Amino acid sequence: MRGFRHTVTLAGGLVGSGLMSGCTGQQSALIPRGEDAAVQSTLFFVMLVGAVVLWLMLNGLFFYLTRVRPGAVPQRLANGMIIIGGLVVPAVLIGALLAWGLSILPDQQRSGDGLTIRVTGEQWWWRVEYWPEGAEAPIVSANEIRMPVGERVEFALGAKRVIHSFWIPALGGKMDMFPGRDTRVSLKATEPGVYRGQCAEFCGASHAWMAFAAEAMPPADFAAWLDHEASAAVAPSTPDAVAGAEIFAREGCGACHTVRGTDHIGQVGPDLTHVGARHTLGAGRLGATLEDFAAWISHTDELKPEVEMPAYGHLPEEEHRLLAAYLKGLQ
Amino acid sequence: MKVEPGTPRIVFRTLAALASLGALAGGGVVAFGLYNVSARVGHWPGVGWVLHTTFVQSVKLRAMPEAEVPDLSDPALADLGAQHYATACAPCHAAPGVERSATVRAMVPAPPHIEEAVAHWEANHLHWIVYNGIKMSGMPAWSAPERSAEVWPVVAYLLRVKEGTAPTDLVAQDGGARGDWAAYCQACHEDVSAHVPRLGILSPEYLNKALSDYRDGSRPSGIMEQAASLVPADDIPALVPRMSPRTPAEAVTEAPAGPGADLARRGTDDVPACVACHGPGATRAKAEFPSLAGQDPSYLAAQLSLWRDGLRGGSDVMTKAAMDLSDADIAALAGWYGALSPEIAPALQ
Repeated sequence: MRGFRHTVTLAGGLVGSGLMSGCTGQQSALIPRGEDAAVQSTLFFVMLVGAVVLWLMLNGLFFYLTRVRPGAVPQRLANGMIIIGGLVVPAVLIGALLAWGLSILPDQQRSGDGLTIRVTGEQWWWRVEYWPEGAEAPIVSANEIRMPVGERVEFALGAKRVIHSFWIPALGGKMDMFPGRDTRVSLKATEPGVYRGQCAEFCGASHAWMAFAAEAMPPADFAAWLDHEASAAVAPSTPDAVAGAEIFAREGCGACHTVRGTDHIGQVGPDLTHVGARHTLGAGRLGATLEDFAAWISHTDELKPEVEMPAYGHLPEEEHRLLAAYLKGLQ
Repeated sequence: MKVEPGTPRIVFRTLAALASLGALAGGGVVAFGLYNVSARVGHWPGVGWVLHTTFVQSVKLRAMPEAEVPDLSDPALADLGAQHYATACAPCHAAPGVERSATVRAMVPAPPHIEEAVAHWEANHLHWIVYNGIKMSGMPAWSAPERSAEVWPVVAYLLRVKEGTAPTDLVAQDGGARGDWAAYCQACHEDVSAHVPRLGILSPEYLNKALSDYRDGSRPSGIMEQAASLVPADDIPALVPRMSPRTPAEAVTEAPAGPGADLARRGTDDVPACVACHGPGATRAKAEFPSLAGQDPSYLAAQLSLWRDGLRGGSDVMTKAAMDLSDADIAALAGWYGALSPEIAPALQ
């Protein structure tokens, strides 16, 4: 057990250091990869420069009056400094910054170019539905967002039981998700890449493990991906995967998970139709290697405290391996 | 009145000395065995009355209000209670028309004959007594504290005893006595066949697991722990195949529609689809998963409530699966499965 924990911690650390590190731009509001994040970043840096300049001027003045030329200041000069420095300059500066800031601040809720992605916060994962313009039924996925670069995508957000918050820092601002109420945010990625999203509102024991990968793709690639995502699962044909599919059915996994194209139609947990093609497992908890699949199935509750999915550690290790082969094969 | 200086101190010292002497005397009685625990000697005069009155008043104070007693008019309840009574209670309290043994009558206090024992109690009191037991009297508490509702069939039987209409055919007792364990199981599971699971539609793997869970206490039940504990472990391998599927009982009928059908077949985003493991049609599911088509609805509803409330041991998966069921869901599922025709358990196909 200790060996397992150590391995998982190490693996989690590696995945985390890859995905989380601000320096790589995966999850940094200061290295924007989307239109809204770019505005926020510009605002931040302008305000930062302004604040630094003001701080330098104010402290420079203090230094001048206390160290360079100490002593009483003539009444007229003092009055002038209070009126000019204390009232006029701040009013003009802050007024100008405010006017400029408001003028460039993006409307988080402006409508998109056609595609709507509905995301529902669960404990602790993301139910995802793609609604292309005019669609009558959604394309169901989970725990990952994919979107075309250069198109404004609208996100319709909700939550199942408690408040969550949807945030992809590299693409834009965050928006809270409430049970029983829809909120909206729209985002436009400007550069292809895989970014990291994270629940930004404390939502229970595994809040910190509630993340997802958000991939911005060239529009043609995205269209091809969405077509594939809409298709039914292709049953993997390797002997291991075939054996894994039998175990999946035998253990009743389909009572909670859907694999479209099979008789597994459960809706409690994430849709697994194309789970093998995702970047992460367990809502950003692990990578997506065969070993990660086996670790997730056998140690679910250790990896994600209080998770609803029961751990299947009671199955023999060989069966974890076969199940992993089946799930990874669901491309 | 004038109190002499020093008087309070004298009073205090006197009391302290008396208390010390009392403690010493009490300790001496315990340490040197001075109290005679012989049942033959009995209680000192008056002590029996004090103890009995304490018992009666304590039960009356603690029993639930009569208004909370459920409807016990279903004769199947009393029939089931009678079979449990036969193995668990009759050894001390005998049965209508049967004498207590001489050994039992020599107990202190002597367990009253059942007709005398129930004479002055109502259903709510009887439930309290059977569920809680009576301290220092030899009357045990219900062995599964999670299952207070399970006591009601026994109460139903006791009420029939009180009315003088109790069934006297206590098959379970006879079956056990003869070592005919199939007859012993059938006394409830086939002869009564309401509020209890139909065993004929369950796989041997499931029955083995159920019996082993009852025997090691991981599946609490005051009735089944008692029943399973009487069957010698060596007899179980031969018994289980006799109780589990032989042939499909009836022709397959069309499954009824309704909320139970939708919930069982598709589930919701809170409730897993039952059919994936429990059928009908779950031909690839584990043999240990019970087939539920045609199962007794009252049994199903009781078990689902236990799963939902976290009181039914034996499977973490089912505890998680049932945790979001509402009372209406449970009624719908139990009704739907109960109305289906039984399937043959996959293991025997």
